[in-house]
Amino acid sequence: MADVMTRLEPNSRAAARGLSDLSIRNLFIIPTITFLIVFNVFPLIYSLYTGFTDYRASTTAPANWVGLANFRELLSDPFIWRNFTITAKYVVISVTGQVIVGFGLAMLLNRPMALKGLITTLLMLPMMLSPAVVGLFWKLLYDPSFGIINYFLGLGKFEWLADPQMALWAVAMVDIWMWSPFVMLLSLAGLSAVPKHLYEAAEIDRAGPFYTFFRITLPLVAPILMIAIIFRTMEAFKTFDHAYILSSQPTTELIAIRLYKMAFLEWQTGLSSAFAYIVLIVVVAITNIYVKYLNKAKAR
Amino acid sequence: MARIELTDIQKHFGAFQVLKNVNLTIEDGEFVVMLGQSGCGKTTTLRAIAGLETVSSGTIRIDGREVQDLKAADRDIAFVFQSFSLYPHMTVYENIAFPLRAVGMNQSEREAAVREVARVLGIERLLNRKPSALSGGDMQRVAIGRALVRRPKALLMDEPIGALDAKLREQMRAEIKRLHIARASTSVYVTHDQIEAMSLADRIVVMHGGLLQQVGTPEEVYNRPANLFVAQFVGSPVMNVADVGVENGGLSFGAGAGVAMPAGLIAHLPKNAVKLGIRPEAVRLSHEPGEGMVETETTNLEPLGSHEIVDVRLGGATLRARAEPGFVRGQGQRLWVGLDAERAHFFDGETGMALRRTA
Repeated sequence: MADVMTRLEPNSRAAARGLSDLSIRNLFIIPTITFLIVFNVFPLIYSLYTGFTDYRASTTAPANWVGLANFRELLSDPFIWRNFTITAKYVVISVTGQVIVGFGLAMLLNRPMALKGLITTLLMLPMMLSPAVVGLFWKLLYDPSFGIINYFLGLGKFEWLADPQMALWAVAMVDIWMWSPFVMLLSLAGLSAVPKHLYEAAEIDRAGPFYTFFRITLPLVAPILMIAIIFRTMEAFKTFDHAYILSSQPTTELIAIRLYKMAFLEWQTGLSSAFAYIVLIVVVAITNIYVKYLNKAKAR
Repeated sequence: MARIELTDIQKHFGAFQVLKNVNLTIEDGEFVVMLGQSGCGKTTTLRAIAGLETVSSGTIRIDGREVQDLKAADRDIAFVFQSFSLYPHMTVYENIAFPLRAVGMNQSEREAAVREVARVLGIERLLNRKPSALSGGDMQRVAIGRALVRRPKALLMDEPIGALDAKLREQMRAEIKRLHIARASTSVYVTHDQIEAMSLADRIVVMHGGLLQQVGTPEEVYNRPANLFVAQFVGSPVMNVADVGVENGGLSFGAGAGVAMPAGLIAHLPKNAVKLGIRPEAVRLSHEPGEGMVETETTNLEPLGSHEIVDVRLGGATLRARAEPGFVRGQGQRLWVGLDAERAHFFDGETGMALRRTA
């Protein structure tokens, strides 16, 4: 009996699945791996190589090995450090704003209310739009002559995007508008996972709303909020589209914009490859710090 | 400690009325158990006392003060949830200290209070652990500790040991009783387990369909049930209930079977539409014929170790009797059955209300 079962089982399993392991491998896994190798792994390795050369994609001249010269040049360039400083400031403003607005919206939505589904969907619209389109219409909103923002705030012809002090804030504001819904969505998932009976227990224990928020809600939502922060920090570091469209101020030149100019306007392919790797290392390092905090929050 | 009074409490969930005119007074220091099936309104009543549920109408007084419109935090009561409701990210110490921190008690007083409660409950060694590292019994001890630490006016418990296994339930039942005796706190306890109710309560409140069916001591509820529901809900195995005819000198069970009864016990009964209620321990079995006994045969046998439950036919009714182990060999055995007349209960066949002799 056992022998019969052993012989029949693989066939009946394959029949139940509809596809054999071999077909799944050939149809799905091999094409995916090929695609990843061609479009991700190869460029990653090739750009690492070009980072150590003086290669220029605009010429036919062969690439010469220059060792660490590109990295030395970049790390000793004060303008690059300024780009990093601007980006860091932008990331802090943008992610902080998104967490405050997104979490606040989630708190408002985390209760029984009419049209909750519709309101949630409408609030998520900004993150479904193309960043380039968002940049274009926010440029109109910020316009000093006919922009609606100056009209509502009564600021006359204030130049949001040309003002060196305000331009970065204006660009960050657009990122906050666009990506707060993402934080809201994750926070809402976190908030709705906090058992209602814990709030009842806190109420019985005479905890006020602020005490309950800081001692119950926030610690329990912290892990999922940290995941949102990790995602948004990585994305904010890479911000390009709307920032490039909105402002050409030196005070808004984020590292992605500097990298674009270096690679595709100045055609310093080798140097820009090295720059891209420096950015990658910085992002990975920051993400690692967050992941450490995430694990701590989870352990709590 | 506190006296709790519920007056004309009504509660609707939409069109459905969950509580119907609930009137109940719980005395200072009393241990009251609310007993009933799922959906009978016992938990809603408890949550209404706690302030976790609003009432549609009626008044709730704690120590004479009307509280039905106050928030739970302003009622100074403690609540033990069935699901324990421990804060999962805090240690046992932080969980117990939570109600004290919430009202800003200073650290030294807080620590003394937490350690005192932990000592009473025997959970001092667990103070640095997280709830996830505790057994079910220890979690419930911590939940009780958190409830007791601030010395509330009343302690409300919603099936606090319902999620534990049978052995642990028995142990925790004894601990809860011990704590109540030691602290003399006014306690209201909700359960569907009549053994818990019988063993813990000063008074039992039996609920059904949003109505109080009977309020009384465990002995009263067991020995003098107010109606058929109470009679059949309290007691294990359940009370035998049979339709009987009342005739001169006894009760008839149909199919020609009858049992003699003293006239004084049945004189007040109507002739028809009467139900007899008799607990299995009041059904007497004998291998020999005796006065007032009828010959019958066993139809089923349930050996339970300490005793056996024997089913016997009596006319058109099947009665369950409690017998010593080994008293009966199996089904189909001939024996004699009689009823302990003093322990027989009679109920109105239509209303289900107890038909009692007027003294």
